[in-house]
Amino acid sequence: MSMARSLPATGMLAFEHVTKWYGPVAALTDVTFSVGCEVVGLVGKNGVGKSTLMKLAVGLLQPSQGKVQVAGHAAHTRQARTLVGFCPDFETLYEDLTGATFVSWMLRFHGFSPSAARARAQAVLDQLGLGPHMHRAIREYSKGMRQRVRLAQALAHEPQFVLLDEPMTGLDPVARSQLSEIIRNLPSLGVGVLVSSHVLHELAAVVDRVVLVHQGRLLADGKVAELRASMPTQPHRLRIVVADARNLATVLVGWPEVHSVVVQTDGLEVAIGGEGSFYAQLTRLAATWPQPIEAVAPLDDDLASVFGYLVG
Amino acid sequence: MTARPRLRFLGTVVESARQTTLRLCRQRLWWIVLGSIFALVAVGWLLGMRLGERTNGQSLFCILAWWLHGTVLVPWFALYVGVQAVHGSLEDRTALYLFLRPVGRVPLLLGNWLAVSILSASVAVLGTLALFVGLAANPEVWTDGVHGHVAWVFAGSLALGAVAYAAAAVFFSAAVRRPLVWAAFFVVGLQQLTANLPVSAGLRQFTITDPLRRLVLDGIEPDARLADLLWPAETFQPEKIGTPIVDLAWLVGVTLVLACWFYRRTEYDARPRD
Repeated sequence: MSMARSLPATGMLAFEHVTKWYGPVAALTDVTFSVGCEVVGLVGKNGVGKSTLMKLAVGLLQPSQGKVQVAGHAAHTRQARTLVGFCPDFETLYEDLTGATFVSWMLRFHGFSPSAARARAQAVLDQLGLGPHMHRAIREYSKGMRQRVRLAQALAHEPQFVLLDEPMTGLDPVARSQLSEIIRNLPSLGVGVLVSSHVLHELAAVVDRVVLVHQGRLLADGKVAELRASMPTQPHRLRIVVADARNLATVLVGWPEVHSVVVQTDGLEVAIGGEGSFYAQLTRLAATWPQPIEAVAPLDDDLASVFGYLVG
Repeated sequence: MTARPRLRFLGTVVESARQTTLRLCRQRLWWIVLGSIFALVAVGWLLGMRLGERTNGQSLFCILAWWLHGTVLVPWFALYVGVQAVHGSLEDRTALYLFLRPVGRVPLLLGNWLAVSILSASVAVLGTLALFVGLAANPEVWTDGVHGHVAWVFAGSLALGAVAYAAAAVFFSAAVRRPLVWAAFFVVGLQQLTANLPVSAGLRQFTITDPLRRLVLDGIEPDARLADLLWPAETFQPEKIGTPIVDLAWLVGVTLVLACWFYRRTEYDARPRD
């Protein structure tokens, strides 16, 4: 998919102290972050303001306070809308149209001539795997096919920034994998991506960093590992695979860094405080331990765990 | 990104009208419209066959064209299709796909109105002609001969009425959450209320029926009895009232300006859904 590379790699989408009120209810409060030519995950529970944030970014809503800008243009302006593609989370499409017609109709409003719009729509739908079905009515499509049509209308006009609201919804595993690949490749084509998903492990596989929203506020912004490292008071959980787990447990409980040890059939689950000194001690111990320590794996360095720790 | 010429205001209106027309034409409603047109031919033909001596074919055509087609079928068709085109796409959120494009909302809405106007005006003309054809199939009851002129007067007037009702539908769709309820209040409440006001009442200008009725009466030059049948509230006094086309143009203009204002500034996706 050909995409442009003319914008600077930072600050393609910028939220500056953005607050959004719905009557007396604050949906977002003082949110500030920016997204460059990278894949950023937007994480938060239902109803915390993720969709509001997305709609502010594409100009469907306007902030009550603060600024939302796309490449220096206010998000609701035509210049910004030329640069942005949005795949919404709602189901509806023009049911009576074919996938190809729907996408080409949307392209007409981007200045594509009728023939160019048709050709571009067919090319994008083909790339998204909808080639054989693009001339069928949308009402006959499966959930996954409908999702691809929504993606196609977001990508077809060659935007420089794409917002994907729950793009994995309804897709089968193969399609999810294909979509993840597409999302991962977009920054190399000069396209920045902000993607929200409830499937955190899939999100973690494609994002460069995450923005975590909770109760309308920006709770965290950074790489998953950095966010995890920034929680020193939160014990790390490790799984140690070893044959004589019970003996090892009696040693580990005496170490000051160890908060708790749970003996399991084929190993231990250990909660620790200071990571560095624990690992140094464990390495020394492993060299002299009679049974081989087969594996040491962190249990809570993933996005789901970080999310759980942050929002409780 | 390849630089493309931006779709300008008029281009957006035309493209929006084209897409809206094609979308509306795919609805099953058109089978009902087709059936209704044939029904109008049949109604005209059957009534023509049973016509008594007190009424001639032309008077019956005028009465049916006005009271059945002009005050019931055309308004409700235009309002329903207009609400479907604008409010329907706001409710099912398909309009948001258009709001994401680098075009203004005002030309999008005007395109919707244009599409609804064209379709409604076509139905108004076809319905009028269908009724005329049905009644003209019995030429013996037209005591002064069958005159096509009267059909064209009604067809033209009701087509203008359809354009105005389309503007009202677009306004209600953009401004309120239950546009068909408001449309019903407008057609059955406001218009009927003002029909009983004096001819000089300014409120008449905020209706569609009143200028339409004047337009029809100007065109067909009815005798006193027919004028009374079409406009029962008072004696027809054309010298006391303004130009109906100008009144209609004002109504359409003001309604569209208000509709565009609401459509442009409302955050439709922020409002709670019923």
